[in-house]
Amino acid sequence: MPTQPHHLNLCAFFSTALIALLGTGPASAAPKDETGPPVQFNRDIRPILSDKCYTCHGPDKSKRLSNLRLDNEEGAKADLGGRFAVVPGKLETSQLIQRITTDNEAIRMPPIHSGKKLSGEQIDLFKRWIAEGARWQKHWSFITPKRPELPEVSDPSWPRNPIDSFVLARLDREDLSASAEAGRATLIRRVTIDLTGLPPTPGEIDAFLADSSPNAYEKIVDRLLKSPRYGERMAVRWLDAARYADTNGYQTDAERYMWRWRDWVIEAFNDNVPFDQFTVEQIAGDMLPNATLEQKIASGFNRNHRGNGEGGIIDAEYAVEYVVDRVETTSTVWLGLTMGCTRCHDHKYDPLTQKEFYKIFAYFNNVPEKGKAFKYGNSPPFIKAPTREQQRELQKLDKNLALAEKSFKGRQAGIDRAQKDWEKALSDSDRVDWLLHDGLIAHYPLDGTLSGVTPGASRDVRARLRDGLPDFSDGRLGQAAGFDGKRFIQAGDVADFRFYENYTLSAWIYPTSPNGTIIARSKAVPTEVKGYGLFLKDSKLQLNMVTRWLDDSSRVETRQPIELNQWHHVLATYDGSLLTDGSKIYVDGTAAKLTFVVDELNQPFGVKAPLRIGAGDGDQPRFEGLIDEVRIYDRALRPAEVSVVATAESLSEIAKTASADRTQAQFDKLRLAFLDQYSPEEIHEAWEKLLGLRNKRAQLVESFPTVMVMQERENRRDTHLLLRGAYDAPGEKVTPGVPAVLPAIPEGVPNDRLGFARWLVDPGNPLTARVTVNRFWQMLFGVGLVKTVEDFGSQGEWPVHMDLLNWLATEFVGNGWDIKGIIKTVVMSATYRQSSRADAELHDRDPENRLLARGPRFRLPAEVLRDQALAISGLLVEKAGGPSVKPYQPTGLWTELAGGKEYPQDHGDKLYRRSLYTFWKRAVPPPAMLNFDSAGREACTVRETRTNTPLQALNLMNDVTFVESSRMMAERMMNEGGSTPAERVAYGYRLATAREPGERRTEILLDSFHHHLDNFESDRKAALALVTQGEHPRSQELNIAELASYTTVASLILNLDETITKE
Amino acid sequence: MNPKLECQLHMTRRHFFGRSSATLGTAVLANLFKDKLGAATATSGGDDSSAGLPGLPHFAPKAKRIIYLFQSGAPSQLDLFDYKPNLKDRRATELPASIRQGQRLTGMTATQTSFPVAPTIFDFKQHGQSGAWISELMPHLAKVADELCFIKTMNTTAINHDPAVTFFQTGFQLAGRPSIGAWLSYGLGTMNQDLPSFVVMVSSGSAREGQPLYDRLWGSGFLPTRYQGVKFRSVGDPVLYLSDPPGINKPARRRFLDDLAKLNNLSLEEFGDPEISTRISQYEMAYRMQTSVPDLTDLSAEPDSTFELYGSEARKPGTFAANCLLARRLAERGVRFIQLYHRGWDQHTELPKGIRRQAKDTDHGTGALIQDLKDRGMLEDTLVIWGGEFGRTVYSQGRLTEDDYGRDHHPRCFTVFMAGGGIKPGISYGETDDYCYNVAKDPVHVHDLHATMMHLLGVDHTKLTFKYQGRHFRLTDVHGEVVEKVLA
Repeated sequence: MPTQPHHLNLCAFFSTALIALLGTGPASAAPKDETGPPVQFNRDIRPILSDKCYTCHGPDKSKRLSNLRLDNEEGAKADLGGRFAVVPGKLETSQLIQRITTDNEAIRMPPIHSGKKLSGEQIDLFKRWIAEGARWQKHWSFITPKRPELPEVSDPSWPRNPIDSFVLARLDREDLSASAEAGRATLIRRVTIDLTGLPPTPGEIDAFLADSSPNAYEKIVDRLLKSPRYGERMAVRWLDAARYADTNGYQTDAERYMWRWRDWVIEAFNDNVPFDQFTVEQIAGDMLPNATLEQKIASGFNRNHRGNGEGGIIDAEYAVEYVVDRVETTSTVWLGLTMGCTRCHDHKYDPLTQKEFYKIFAYFNNVPEKGKAFKYGNSPPFIKAPTREQQRELQKLDKNLALAEKSFKGRQAGIDRAQKDWEKALSDSDRVDWLLHDGLIAHYPLDGTLSGVTPGASRDVRARLRDGLPDFSDGRLGQAAGFDGKRFIQAGDVADFRFYENYTLSAWIYPTSPNGTIIARSKAVPTEVKGYGLFLKDSKLQLNMVTRWLDDSSRVETRQPIELNQWHHVLATYDGSLLTDGSKIYVDGTAAKLTFVVDELNQPFGVKAPLRIGAGDGDQPRFEGLIDEVRIYDRALRPAEVSVVATAESLSEIAKTASADRTQAQFDKLRLAFLDQYSPEEIHEAWEKLLGLRNKRAQLVESFPTVMVMQERENRRDTHLLLRGAYDAPGEKVTPGVPAVLPAIPEGVPNDRLGFARWLVDPGNPLTARVTVNRFWQMLFGVGLVKTVEDFGSQGEWPVHMDLLNWLATEFVGNGWDIKGIIKTVVMSATYRQSSRADAELHDRDPENRLLARGPRFRLPAEVLRDQALAISGLLVEKAGGPSVKPYQPTGLWTELAGGKEYPQDHGDKLYRRSLYTFWKRAVPPPAMLNFDSAGREACTVRETRTNTPLQALNLMNDVTFVESSRMMAERMMNEGGSTPAERVAYGYRLATAREPGERRTEILLDSFHHHLDNFESDRKAALALVTQGEHPRSQELNIAELASYTTVASLILNLDETITKE
Repeated sequence: MNPKLECQLHMTRRHFFGRSSATLGTAVLANLFKDKLGAATATSGGDDSSAGLPGLPHFAPKAKRIIYLFQSGAPSQLDLFDYKPNLKDRRATELPASIRQGQRLTGMTATQTSFPVAPTIFDFKQHGQSGAWISELMPHLAKVADELCFIKTMNTTAINHDPAVTFFQTGFQLAGRPSIGAWLSYGLGTMNQDLPSFVVMVSSGSAREGQPLYDRLWGSGFLPTRYQGVKFRSVGDPVLYLSDPPGINKPARRRFLDDLAKLNNLSLEEFGDPEISTRISQYEMAYRMQTSVPDLTDLSAEPDSTFELYGSEARKPGTFAANCLLARRLAERGVRFIQLYHRGWDQHTELPKGIRRQAKDTDHGTGALIQDLKDRGMLEDTLVIWGGEFGRTVYSQGRLTEDDYGRDHHPRCFTVFMAGGGIKPGISYGETDDYCYNVAKDPVHVHDLHATMMHLLGVDHTKLTFKYQGRHFRLTDVHGEVVEKVLA
């Protein structure tokens, strides 16, 4: 460490700041031996080479100077025309030494213009390394870890498990000693917060304090690992890594629905799914043989990236960005590699090439997706993903439905008989007809009147004729309305469909001109006509939905023209999927072959203009000919229903036809009509019951949440290397593959995304296990064993405890990737259980506690701070999973940025759910989370950071979340804490810190209480104002001045350093 | 501040010294509580971030601070500053292929079958000694024409709003990098003790709905979050959570903080963790902000002449004019980077109507701010920048009529202007072609603008770096050249 002694003497804190600012290079590694063991290439030399030399003498051949490469042994020791950079054992002939030590600035390395410099210490290391034989090593993290031997330690009684042996051996070398075990109260708070993200209750603390059994602590750990809160706690950091959020992240930043994936993660942690399975299912769950719903949901991991639905974007550009995001995220999370660097060029520091980037890219480049995401909601591919509860409900319903279907089938003979009798009577009667009315919202018979009717509605849909006088004549069914290219029907404010709703438009038409509007709800705006409608265009039928023509609209067109001057039944359906594929057009009861003209529907197409028959708005041509029987349904009719609707013959006409001569549609129409309206009561009831169940099932399925998932295209998409990483500069074609520096894909594993997933967790993979246990370590100790948790390459940090890291990695793999197992091992160690108290000297020497001579002590993560306050106050509502919730947030935040919708704050229980369920809008994340260093969730984040700012102080003192928590905590102090103020403040302190306050703290707290009480008693209005903050009702029994004073004390306690810190 | 409270505060500080010196050493605590407290303090230790990075500034700065008036949605350079009188004769003719050059278009006009030239319908006149051409839409700005340096050849890489705005503010199209202001706070530290060093304000205009903005535009990216911009708001608390809850008055808060400090000091004795000292100082800074911020946003002491200069709009909180006035007040108080966002410039259709409205919203405040800074002698060390994320096309998007047209996004050339802070006044830099479609001479890329801004603040843009994911990142990525010719 480049220490500056005079500086350190002056101010211990400066050195820490310096480290924080310099980042994570070798210079900031923890103290190491200066003279002892021989120089190790990986530990001592490679980091310097990487940082100071590789920009010009590294793996990137395009930037390499003087043909000298120092990132591999061959290069460093190569004969460059009789000159050698490195000659083992020979300082005088090693050009490297000469060039770094020369006084001649013109040739000294690194060059002055690079801004880089070697310290004297670094130059000495080079000299020693060459003198000792210049031994080369493959970069440490690319070598599969071997289980290290346990070292000898000075005090064999201290280690509780191997972790401690490694730690103590290092402390012995540093001439430091371990700290004593933390007090029990501190310990239970530490481990409870670490494993569940919530503090222990006073009851739990008391039980632990009173438990004298030797395994008292282990019992606590086991209990916590079984708690469902464990999965919630573990999930948060994983959601950061997976860039999980509730909005799409670009421009409008509208809502998406990935919470089913989030809940899968929580459940997987709670079920202790082994990490290898956890990995495979998230990378390629969709490709597993007979993939289950849960496995498909898991694959949503790589759909959490942002999706751009901005108008006018270039599809191909974002199609590339999404895949790049997957490569970067996956390689950061599992491999600890900064693959992102190789998007545009070979890696400057690590043996990774640009081509290898695109080889991994190829694994993820085969998703049937578009670069233009949907602006609102999930973008394909997505699936319906019922929750576990909904799955159970569906199962139950299906069972009932099967029974009902069976019982209805049992009545078949009886139904046939009854229907036959009815048909007989029918064939003798005058015209009798029937209408499919399920979902019918407007029906215009056009039999001499313009108005529409809706089944069950008390009032007609009022319609008026415009630009002419009504003209009725014989129609397909009764009369029809005539259109002359001018007159049209203004058919009322109906059928105002949202772009994610289902609908059906149906009519009989007799066109005399090839162009005309049949039914439309549209409005001309300056550049186009917005809205939707069914049109005749060059005798072909079109269904159009337009927000902005071309880049935000959908159009399908029938391939075959229809004959003019004759009657046709035309019907169009839309399934609310935003996909052109979700539009269908039927001609005379049969689905027509369609051309998908534009498939870019992305925004609401609703307009205020009324529905029109025979015309649209603006330049949309008006209809010429006859229109009859216009019907509009608020659902997409099924094909069998369409053919029934398109059957013009009345029931009585069909009944008169011999059954052998009836078409299927005619047969269906009779049967449906009979069951619906003309059957005997008993049959009708059975039918209604069956229909009821079917509808209930359909509604249930409709209510299922969706989740975006990974899928494979049928025809593999080619992948090209992209020059400079640009989407529009394809280079050579590449095939999927893994970087050469790492082990190959195992034998017998297919070389696809699933194979890649299995390769990630192959025991031979040198990175995955290390990277993963290192993140767990970071979660528990604040800093990883490798501080650069996201970078295990040569620019990453040399692990402070290499053997410990390797031991943990091999232990993790050896125990079948048992996550709870490895976490238990860590929290059971004596290292973890140490007290975090330390003197100034130790803080000075090891500010970040890398040597582990004390227990972890650092500020709680953002979500734990809020959850803890809710828990302490008793406000916390524990409910697992479900859609995200919107607790308090200062008003106006969404409006002032997004310019649209204001944050629709929830009420009641939803205000008090755990923070991982808080709605995460990427453009405007929850401010209290960001204030406390939460990841922004725009891109993968694995490093935990902690700052200490005045905004945090304001947040904890004044945010209604914490003020309300204070007053509810005050109620607890008054109701549960005892009868005297001293007991009550002590109780509050203990709720928050698990500790007893002791005499001095109690004195300050009491003094504070009495001071505020004096004031609030004389200003009860102020007291009332304070104790009514937040929406939770206040206890009416408590004295307001007292409650306000305890609220202030509670707030004081919630702001204490020891409350917001894990000690 | 109430003198009695002030006295209490000092006593509290003395009390700390007495109490803790035994464990930590007087020098440490003296440093901790010296009057120049940082806006925020580092993660694991109590550094004094007011100092910024060692070695910075790299050379003597020309500007002490920046006021960046960002015009989100992309204003039309053709209708405001880049005067092309010869286009009048080419009205409604097809944009020649030799100009179009097959360059990419957005999905909104890529399929348009015709690209009719739409000359501006607004009058341009020359102003000031410098004879700068300015559209009739900007009468107040025209009065300070001689202070301005127009860059006519700005160009950018992105063609859609979100990536383009992100690019302008962070030097990269995708989210995740630190914003300009965050880089400056990280590198240069802060110049004041009571306010953040990087403040953002979003104004509301008469546009019904503008393009969305994002917290990331003033975020810290991979830099520690303490470097992120602090948004000053016109509704509710000017700074989030600034006000004490109802029922807690100033003396109660002071007492609260004194008690908190006493208690935290006990922990400091027990745990020896320097982070606790930092925490104590951050609460004091928070307390100072509770006074300094309302004092800043309270315009009641401004004389009438101020509102004569800025217009009566400046009395309405949240307007562009009001924020321009606040920007001056922030500048006076030593805030280094002040950024205003104004939305609503995205005129794909009905451009004449839209741009009139936008100009009316922003012209008065902009002109007044520059004049005001000049009058106060602050313009020479304050760099003012005005501009959007890209420009607009010469061809009409949608229908072209006598008095109506629209324009699509155009990243290939557009105009920004700068003033003060070491910028050469009264010049126009760079030339566009006859159609204002391509750069004809002296292109200035976003990276170049960033490099120039940093240069004026005394920062070598290639040397302000942060190591993240194994790489030394900088605002200008691997690009950017200082535009020497615009420097005074």
